[in-house]
Amino acid sequence: MNYLKHKLEECKAVAFVTYKEWSAYRTHSLVSVFVGPVYFIVQYFIWTAVYGGSGTLGGMELEQTICYFGVSALIGYLTMDFADWNLQMLVRTGKFLTFTLRPMHHRFFALSQKIGHRVLGFFFEFLPCFLIFLFAFRIDIIPKEMLWTVISVALAFLMNFYVNYCLGMTAFYLVQAGGVRVVYQLLAQIFSGALIPLSFFPAVVQKIMMFLPFQYTNYITAMVWTGNNSIGEMGLTIPQAVLYQTVAVIITGLLSEVLYRTSIKRFTAVGA
Amino acid sequence: MKYIKIYFSCLHTAFSRAATYRANFILGNFITLLSNIIFPLVTVLIYANGAKFPDWNMWEVLLIQSVFSMSTGAASMFCGSILWVTMDHIREGSFETVLLKPIPTLFYIVAANFDPESIGLFLGGLVMTVISALKTGVSGAENILSFLLLFLSGLAVISGMYLIMAAISFKWVGNSRIPEIFDSIKSFGKYPLGIFPRSIQVLSSLIVPVAVIGFFPASALLGRPHRTAFISVIPCFLFFAMGIWIYDRMIKMYEGVGG
Amino acid sequence: MSVAIKAENLVKSYKTYKRGSGFKETVKSFFKREAVTVSAVDDISFEIERGTVCGILGPNGAGKSTTIKMLCGALFPTSGSIDVMGFSPARDRKKYVRKIGAVFGQKSQLIWDIPPVDSFAMNKAIYGIADEDYKKRLGEMTELFDVGEIIYKPTRVLSLGERMKCEFIMAMLHSPEIVFLDEPTIGLDVIAKNKIRDVVSEMNRKGTTFILTTHDLEDVEQLADNVIIINHGKKVFDDTLSSLKNTLGSKKIISLTLSKPYEGSSIGGAEIISRNSEVDISLEVDTSRQEITDFLKSLTSHVDFRDISVKELPMDMIITRIYTENQ
Repeated sequence: MNYLKHKLEECKAVAFVTYKEWSAYRTHSLVSVFVGPVYFIVQYFIWTAVYGGSGTLGGMELEQTICYFGVSALIGYLTMDFADWNLQMLVRTGKFLTFTLRPMHHRFFALSQKIGHRVLGFFFEFLPCFLIFLFAFRIDIIPKEMLWTVISVALAFLMNFYVNYCLGMTAFYLVQAGGVRVVYQLLAQIFSGALIPLSFFPAVVQKIMMFLPFQYTNYITAMVWTGNNSIGEMGLTIPQAVLYQTVAVIITGLLSEVLYRTSIKRFTAVGA
Repeated sequence: MKYIKIYFSCLHTAFSRAATYRANFILGNFITLLSNIIFPLVTVLIYANGAKFPDWNMWEVLLIQSVFSMSTGAASMFCGSILWVTMDHIREGSFETVLLKPIPTLFYIVAANFDPESIGLFLGGLVMTVISALKTGVSGAENILSFLLLFLSGLAVISGMYLIMAAISFKWVGNSRIPEIFDSIKSFGKYPLGIFPRSIQVLSSLIVPVAVIGFFPASALLGRPHRTAFISVIPCFLFFAMGIWIYDRMIKMYEGVGG
Repeated sequence: MSVAIKAENLVKSYKTYKRGSGFKETVKSFFKREAVTVSAVDDISFEIERGTVCGILGPNGAGKSTTIKMLCGALFPTSGSIDVMGFSPARDRKKYVRKIGAVFGQKSQLIWDIPPVDSFAMNKAIYGIADEDYKKRLGEMTELFDVGEIIYKPTRVLSLGERMKCEFIMAMLHSPEIVFLDEPTIGLDVIAKNKIRDVVSEMNRKGTTFILTTHDLEDVEQLADNVIIINHGKKVFDDTLSSLKNTLGSKKIISLTLSKPYEGSSIGGAEIISRNSEVDISLEVDTSRQEITDFLKSLTSHVDFRDISVKELPMDMIITRIYTENQ
C-alpha cells in the first residue's frame, strides 16, 4: 500500500512539473484549436461530396464518417506523445545517464511526464475542439458507450506510449535511430486510421492490421467512440475491439519491458 | 548580375553540403517524398470503394494533388528555409549575424539556405503530374501555357505564406507549430474547388488564393480552367508582395528594438 | 576513519569494430568486422575514506569518466569489484542511488522552462523525502549557496553559475552520504567557482564524502585531501595532495629578466625551461640537490639580471610530468 502511495506521489510530482514546464507553451496548443477545426471542415466537404447521396462507403454512413474524423482528431489530442523523440534525445546526448542515477524507473518517469503533458492537452486542445465540434459544427460527438470509450481511450493512451517508448529505445542500438522513428510515423500516418478509416482498405490489409500496432492507437478507439458495433471487415463488436486492444497493449508493454532490460544491460554493459 | 552570381555560389555550397552527408540526404529526400505521396492514397481508396468527387475522375483528382505536391516541393526548395532560419535566429537571438551581411537580408537568407532535401518532393510531384497528365490525356500548347502561369502564381502564394509565417515567428517566438496553421489552410487547394460552399470558394481563390497551388493549374492543364482562375493571378502576387512587406517591417522593427 | 569506497582490480573494456574509411572498406566491414578490444580502465584499485574529498585527475580519454560512471552504478565493470558502503553499485543500483548524489557539469538535471524549486519538488517525490527534512535541507542549501531568490526564477533565465548551484542543490537534497562531481566548475567564472568550492568544503566538514573529477587543478588544490591520477586507463598516482606536490622533489621555478641576451641552455647547473624573449627566461632548480642560496650565488656570478622571482612548481607542470613519465 505504501509502495503504491509512493508511486502515486512520484507520478503526481513528475506530471505536475511537466504540466508546469509545458504551460509556458500553452499558446502553442491554440494552434490545434485552429488547425483541428480547419481540417475538419475540409474533411466534411470532401466526404459530403464523395458520398453524394450513396448510402454507405467502407461500411460506414456519411454521418459516421464525418463524426469519425472529428473523433479521430480528438483522440490524437488525448493520446499524443513524443516519448520516442525524448528518449532518443536522452540517449544520444548521454543525458540518460542522469536517469540511471535516480531511484525511479525511466519508463514510469516518462509515462508520468506524458500524463502531465496530456492534462495540458486536455484543457487547451481537446476541450476547445470538442466544444467547437459539438456546438459550432453540431456534430453528434458525445460517445455512445461512455464506459467503453473511456477504457478504449486509456488503452490508446498506453498503446501509443509503449510503442513510442520502444521506438525511443532503438537509440541504444542505432546511431541513426531518428530514421526508424520517421519510418514508423509514416506508416502510422497511413495505418492508424488518422488519414482515412481503415475500413476503406481492402479486406486483406485490414486483416494484417489486426497484428500490427497502428490501429490500436487511433482507429479502434475512434470506432468505439462513434459507437460502431460492427467494426471493419471483421465486424468486431465494441467489447471485442476493446479486448483486442487490451491484448495489444499488454504485448507491447511486455515488449517494452524486455527491450528496456536488454537496453539497460547494454547501457550499463553487464559482463561485456 | 552580381546577385545571380551570389545565388549560384550559394547553390553550389548547398549541394556540396548535401553531398558530404550523402546518406542523410538521400534518406531525408526519400522520406519527405514518401510522406507526401501517401496523401493521394486517400483519393485512390475513395475511388476503389466505388465513390467519386462529382465531375472528376480519379486521375484528374490525382493530377490536382500531384501539382499541389510539385508546387509545395518547389517552393520549399527555394524559400522554405526563410521560416526555419528566421525562427532559429530569433530563438537564439542571433539574427544580427544575418543583418551584418552586405546584401539585402531577405535575398541572403533565401540564397544561403537553398534546401536540397525538398528536391525529392518536387521530383516526386513532377513524376506523378506527368503520369496523371498522360492518363487524362492532356494536350494543347495554350493549356500548358496557362498551367505554367498559374503554377508560378501558386509558387508566389506559398512563398508569400512562408514570408508571413517567418514574420509571425518574430513575434510568436519558438513556436514550431506555426507551419501547421498554413498547411491546414493550404489543404483547401488540394481538391476540386466545386465541393466547397461559395464562401470558401471565394476565400480560397481571391483572398488567400490557395486554390492556385493545386486546383487552378491542374484544371487549366486539363483544358477546363475555372472561371476565376486567371483573375486570381492578381491576388497571388499581391499576397506575395504583402509577405515581403510584412517580413521587411518585422526586420525594421527588430533593428529598432536591437539598436 | 572507515573506508567508503573500495575498488579492486577494476577493468572496463569495450569491444569496437574496425571501420574502414574508403567505400571498399565500408562494404567489407559490412560482412566481416574486425573486433578490437579497448580497455578504458585497466586494472585499477583504490580506496577512498569516508569524509574525505578525493580528486580524480587525468587527461581527456584517460578513463576518469568511465571510472566515475562505474562508481555511480551507471556502468557494470568488465571485471573487478567495487564496494561502496556495502553496495555493489551497478548490481544494487536501485537501492544504491538513493544514498548518493551526482552532479555532471555537462548534463543538467534541472528542467529548462520552470524554476529550479519545481524540479526540487519533483526530486522530493522521487526520493521520498519527508516534508520537514525537505524544508530544512532546502533552507540550508539555499542559504549556503546564497540562491534564495534565484530558485524561483525559470531555469532558462539563470546564469551558468546560478544554474550550477541549483544543480548541486538538486543532487544533495536527499542528504546523500557520497556525492560524485564530474567537472562541476566547467565554464564558470571565478566567483561562482569559489562559492561552489566553499560549499563543498562546508558540506565535507559536516561529513559528506566527495569524489571529484576535474580539469581545473584549482578545484583539486583547494578541495582535495587525496588525489588519484589516471592515464591510459591505469592508475599512475594515488596519495595525498601534499605528497603529490613533493613527488617531483622540491623544485622551484626562477624567472629572470636579464640585462643582455644569454645563449646557453643552462645557468649555474639549472636548466632553462622556457624563453619568453631574448632576455626573459625561466629556470628550474631542484633544491634537493642544490641549496637555493648556493644557486643564487652561482647565478649572480654567471649573468646580470634586472628582475627575479622564485615560485613553486605549478600544479599543471607536476601533473603533466606525471602523465608524460608514464607514457
